[in-house]
Amino acid sequence: MSDVTLATLPIEAALQQAQVNGQHRPTSLISMRDIWKTYQMGTEEVHALHGVSFDVNKGEYIAIIGPSGSGKSTLMNLIGCLDTPSKGDYWLNGKNVSEMDDDELARIRNQEVGFVFQTFNLLARATALHNVELPLIYGGIGSTQRHEMATQALKAVDLSDRVTHRPNELSGGQRQRVAIARALVNHPSILLADEPTGALDTHTSKEIMDLFERLHSEGNTIIVVTHEHDIAARAHRILSIRDGLIEKDEKIK
Amino acid sequence: MKFIETLKLAIAAIWAHKLRSALTLLGMIIGVMAVVVVYSLIQGFNTYVDEKIAGIGAKSFNVQRFNPLEDFKDTDTIAAAQRRNKDLTLEDYEYLKERATLIGKIGARARGTPSIVKRGDQILEDVFVSGATAAIADIENRDIAEGRFIVDPENDAAQRVAYLGADVATKLFPVGSPMGQEISISGLPYRVIGVETARGTVFGIPQDNFILVPLKTYANNFGGLIRQRSLYFVATSKTDDLFNDAVDETRFLMRTRRKLPLSEKDNFGIVTPDAITGLRDRLFGTIFIVAIAVPSIALLVGAIVIMNIMLVSVTERTKEIGIRKSLGARQMDILKQFLVEAVTLSAIGGAIGVTIAWIIGRVLTAVFFPTFLSLGAVFIAVGVSMGVGVMAGVFPAWKAARLDPIEALRAE
Ligand SMILES: Nc1ncnc2c1ncn2[C@@H]1O[C@H](COP(=O)(O)OP(=O)(O)OP(=O)(O)O)[C@@H](O)[C@H]1O
Ligand SMILES: [Mg+2]
Repeated sequence: MSDVTLATLPIEAALQQAQVNGQHRPTSLISMRDIWKTYQMGTEEVHALHGVSFDVNKGEYIAIIGPSGSGKSTLMNLIGCLDTPSKGDYWLNGKNVSEMDDDELARIRNQEVGFVFQTFNLLARATALHNVELPLIYGGIGSTQRHEMATQALKAVDLSDRVTHRPNELSGGQRQRVAIARALVNHPSILLADEPTGALDTHTSKEIMDLFERLHSEGNTIIVVTHEHDIAARAHRILSIRDGLIEKDEKIK
Repeated sequence: MKFIETLKLAIAAIWAHKLRSALTLLGMIIGVMAVVVVYSLIQGFNTYVDEKIAGIGAKSFNVQRFNPLEDFKDTDTIAAAQRRNKDLTLEDYEYLKERATLIGKIGARARGTPSIVKRGDQILEDVFVSGATAAIADIENRDIAEGRFIVDPENDAAQRVAYLGADVATKLFPVGSPMGQEISISGLPYRVIGVETARGTVFGIPQDNFILVPLKTYANNFGGLIRQRSLYFVATSKTDDLFNDAVDETRFLMRTRRKLPLSEKDNFGIVTPDAITGLRDRLFGTIFIVAIAVPSIALLVGAIVIMNIMLVSVTERTKEIGIRKSLGARQMDILKQFLVEAVTLSAIGGAIGVTIAWIIGRVLTAVFFPTFLSLGAVFIAVGVSMGVGVMAGVFPAWKAARLDPIEALRAE
């Protein structure tokens, strides 16, 4: 495969290329080929994605933009293995995710992917520390080491003084930082964030985006979905989605 | 995920909804409690019977007119036995005494008569008076507090002497020794020769409100030894090993004396301690089943309540399940989480039920009737509760485990 990304080619060419590439194990971190996601709404079929193909290399910082309902979240959920495609192939770290069973997908979610949600998705009853420990618990890591790693991750997002706070005792920005610490604690291959600043004010948003920038400079691979252009502008590559298709894939740095 | 983590999680979840957990467990607690109380009552009763009835003195058997186990099954058998069986006589007694080789001791007694007993202005009504021969003291292991028991010459001469139960003695003689004093039984004077040590109550029935007089005296003054005063014999074997042989020999002698052909049933009854405990086991077998079956329904209802609450809990915590799944929880982790929660919940219910039952048992023992709760029963009760928990928890847990991560995350 050349350094020309597939999404920049006309769709027919992309499909051809995908078929050829289908025989190979891709070398990039993420490789999606002709991914479809179809929802059955009564008798009607809704295609949230129809034939998306693209690659992501290690260390990239990508923003996904597009109008509401264009399929951004759907795509992110597929990348994060929270959902499975109706059709198409998805390789993550050289492994074909489309062929994995539930337990293997759980392992990928645990080890390979860190997910940051717009609404934080923290456990309300648990402390910040316990929330961050969750992926480590499911990763089978012993309590001493777990405690150590979670404390470290909270320190990395400047929350060392808030470890015993519960989500309702934290500000929105702090909650999102707990969620980011949780996403990073297992040292995943990729950090996914679906509108991470959607529930935050401009100032806090800027803080969170600064944090992302720092994480990227430390070598993390990051994909962020956003509505805001100044946030997208911080990324090094922008994927524009419209009606379930990649409309534009541009490197900006 | 380690089991201890799962258990901690379960306890935290139960604790987070204390009131709901408690209400959920109500049926469970009542069920377990009822089963355990009934069980410890029966256990206590058994131990009590073994100690108080079968265990009194040496092992002995009774020869009497009826065999309650065989003859009192229903109205037909009662009627048949009343036609067939004859009252025992003193001649039967002499016959057995002479011929039996395996019997150690044999004594004769008659069923008692409630009588009026007087001394001066002291009047006792309903004192249980009956007749006995000298050997009865040893066979029934009677504990004499003062004086002595009836002796053979007193019986042969039908003397009017009386051996008093402790209650009768203290009521008639609040001060001073009753020995050698005169009392009146049903209008005739008797001389007191002995007083028995207090025995207390058995099943709430006082054991010290009696007077024993020589058997012949009893027959002379209260009427022939038939019907309500019917005669019966109490015997022991020479050694404990010979007990069954002694019973067989006695039966054979009685049949010979009464010239019963082989085809005919005994027209007398022999009652052994085994027969008494056997009857008890049969009786309690039925009570036991009913008493265990009814609270078991409470347990079943308890299980359904737990299942229902677990289903509600799964629905309520769909979001949490989604979050956990998004962070790498496998189906098995979620399944375990909810199953352990259900089992922990019902184990707590079981433990509370057993504890309450134990307290009730202590109170019952103190005020009313002895109960006994074995450690085995405790473990079984808690084990059954946990089994109920598994039954109740497996379906909700399975539902939780099968949730689609993205659907679960979208739940509010
Ligand atoms: N579970 C579902 N069932 C049916 N249709 C769905 C489902 N999830 C998403 N869709 C449809 O798929 C399309 C893409 O949805 P998606 O959530 O990916 O949009 P989005 O780009 O993230 O939008 P937004 O910017 O508003 O978050 C929409 O038309 C939506 O209605
Ligand atoms: Mg979205």
